[in-house]
Amino acid sequence: MLFLQALLSGIMTGGVYALAGIGMSLVFGVMNISNFAHGDLMMLGMYLAYFAFTLLHIDPYLSLILIMPIAFLFGFLMEKVFISRVISHPHQNQILLTVGLGLIMSNTALLAFTSDPKILTTSYSSSAFNIPGGIYLSVPLLISFFITCGITAILSLFLLKTSTGMALRATSQNREAAQLMGINVAKMSAIAFGIGTALAATAGALIAPIYYIHPLAGHSFLLKAFTISVLGGLGSVAGAGVGGLIIGVVESMSSTYISSDWKDVVVFVLFLAILLLRPQGLFGKKGGES
Amino acid sequence: MKQFALIAMLAVIAAALPLFIGENPYITGIMISVLMMAALSSAWNILGGYAGQYSFGHAAYFGAGAYTTMILITLYNLNPIFCMAAGIVVACIIALITGSIVFRLRGHYFALASIAVAEIVRLSVLNFEFTGGAQGILLSDLSLWGLDLNSKNPFYYGMLLVLVVTLTITAWLRKSKTGFYLQAIREDQDAAASLGINISFYKNRALLISAALTSVLGSLYGLYIRFIDTSAVLDLRLSIEIILTAIIGGVGTLWGPVVGALLLVPLAEVLRSNLLGDALVKARLVSETSGMGLFLKENLAHAHVLVYGIITVLCILYLPKGIFGLFRRVK
Repeated sequence: MLFLQALLSGIMTGGVYALAGIGMSLVFGVMNISNFAHGDLMMLGMYLAYFAFTLLHIDPYLSLILIMPIAFLFGFLMEKVFISRVISHPHQNQILLTVGLGLIMSNTALLAFTSDPKILTTSYSSSAFNIPGGIYLSVPLLISFFITCGITAILSLFLLKTSTGMALRATSQNREAAQLMGINVAKMSAIAFGIGTALAATAGALIAPIYYIHPLAGHSFLLKAFTISVLGGLGSVAGAGVGGLIIGVVESMSSTYISSDWKDVVVFVLFLAILLLRPQGLFGKKGGES
Repeated sequence: MKQFALIAMLAVIAAALPLFIGENPYITGIMISVLMMAALSSAWNILGGYAGQYSFGHAAYFGAGAYTTMILITLYNLNPIFCMAAGIVVACIIALITGSIVFRLRGHYFALASIAVAEIVRLSVLNFEFTGGAQGILLSDLSLWGLDLNSKNPFYYGMLLVLVVTLTITAWLRKSKTGFYLQAIREDQDAAASLGINISFYKNRALLISAALTSVLGSLYGLYIRFIDTSAVLDLRLSIEIILTAIIGGVGTLWGPVVGALLLVPLAEVLRSNLLGDALVKARLVSETSGMGLFLKENLAHAHVLVYGIITVLCILYLPKGIFGLFRRVK
């Protein structure tokens, strides 16, 4: 029973992680940039959900309708103003630029919202759904998981069926060839970064009712998002989805069977093991990594 | 030769400085911080600047030195020199593990893996008991093996010595076979490999030199402050500060990290100690009791990381070769 309980809660948390991982992988695929500000974008999503709830009295899950377009616009502009200017620079400079932007976001949040952690308590925050057999599923996690599934499905349809989605995938596969085919790759980069930001903020908003909301919360999520996107294969959106679920389950299993203090260590050791054994990730193309 | 002479000359000037300043613990403290950051960033620069491998986890090596030294001293009261040597060994083991996993890969992977290793070290230290966990390690003895820990001067000269050694190694690297190989790897890994350079061997060599020097600085820091915990010596923030210092000064240049430290450490100190806020009040630009004045007083002390962030973004966009790069272009 303990095993089943850990498995189910792992899958549900993993769903939310997957959303953050998909955002990072999409950005990496289209722009070939590791976004070190991704965790801080999640943190902004957490605060947006918190303020929508406390100031506007909007349910955190309903507030996604507001948060997603705001985050998309924010990411789109961030790409236009900052990231696009280093797209042909060495990747170290790109990483450092996103590190700098992340520092600005987290420390501005620290000045504006202070370092006191905030807690978003809804009427159903601590309620659980009881499955016969003694398994409890947290209601906020369950809702988050279904929303995640919905968003992932819409995103897949968008990437597979619409012309913008196809242009995004083409840019991801081969930037130069896409440009020769008349695709506006600069615009695709901005759109990809906007979607990535929206997904990060959504993931942040979805876990806001479960986690402490803190200006520096982004750090641990950043590393998780990296682990997920490398596990799935950097640039592979489907891989990141599966990677998220795996990381969620690994985390949940290690806090059940080892100790919750060591769960992050287990995740990072897994990350190094992937780099050692299968650096292209589960779904990545072989050869891209060396 | 010119570079070696310059290092020697500046080292003599720096060594004579305490004689002019006299017993001013505050100023000496800031100068020690400058020397330490300059040395840390120069050690990072050997790997990041010359081999082109950006480590985002150098705090792990700093922490390895600091923790090994403090644990051996508090538990067994061993000679500090021996403790430093043990710290180097621990740092090199961590470096070898990291290097053997990641140096087969390129690009983003080394940056990512170096963070993962540093986080594993940090979380392990936090969770183990013999490391003091979240409480850290406090050194209550004030003198060790004839070393007076109350005095700051030994640490000033200690940090200066490590900085001089690091700069000398860097200057030597620029003229040696290893250094040319590293720069070849940085510029074009495939071309370097096709010329028969053993890429992971030379990357590992640069990483080991860098990690060993960083670890010695960690040992000195632990003895100097007499208290360490994970947030002081193993945090990701420290790794990022080391990189920023090099970036702002000029990556891959001999003096860039030193210039970066000379600029950033005093700037951080000005913000941290609220000198800027006080100056604004004194100049009557803001009143102390107004909302703005109170806000500055409360928050400027925490703002130095924000300022670092802004400087980084501006630096990458407008000055990617750092201040030293600009200086060289003008010349």
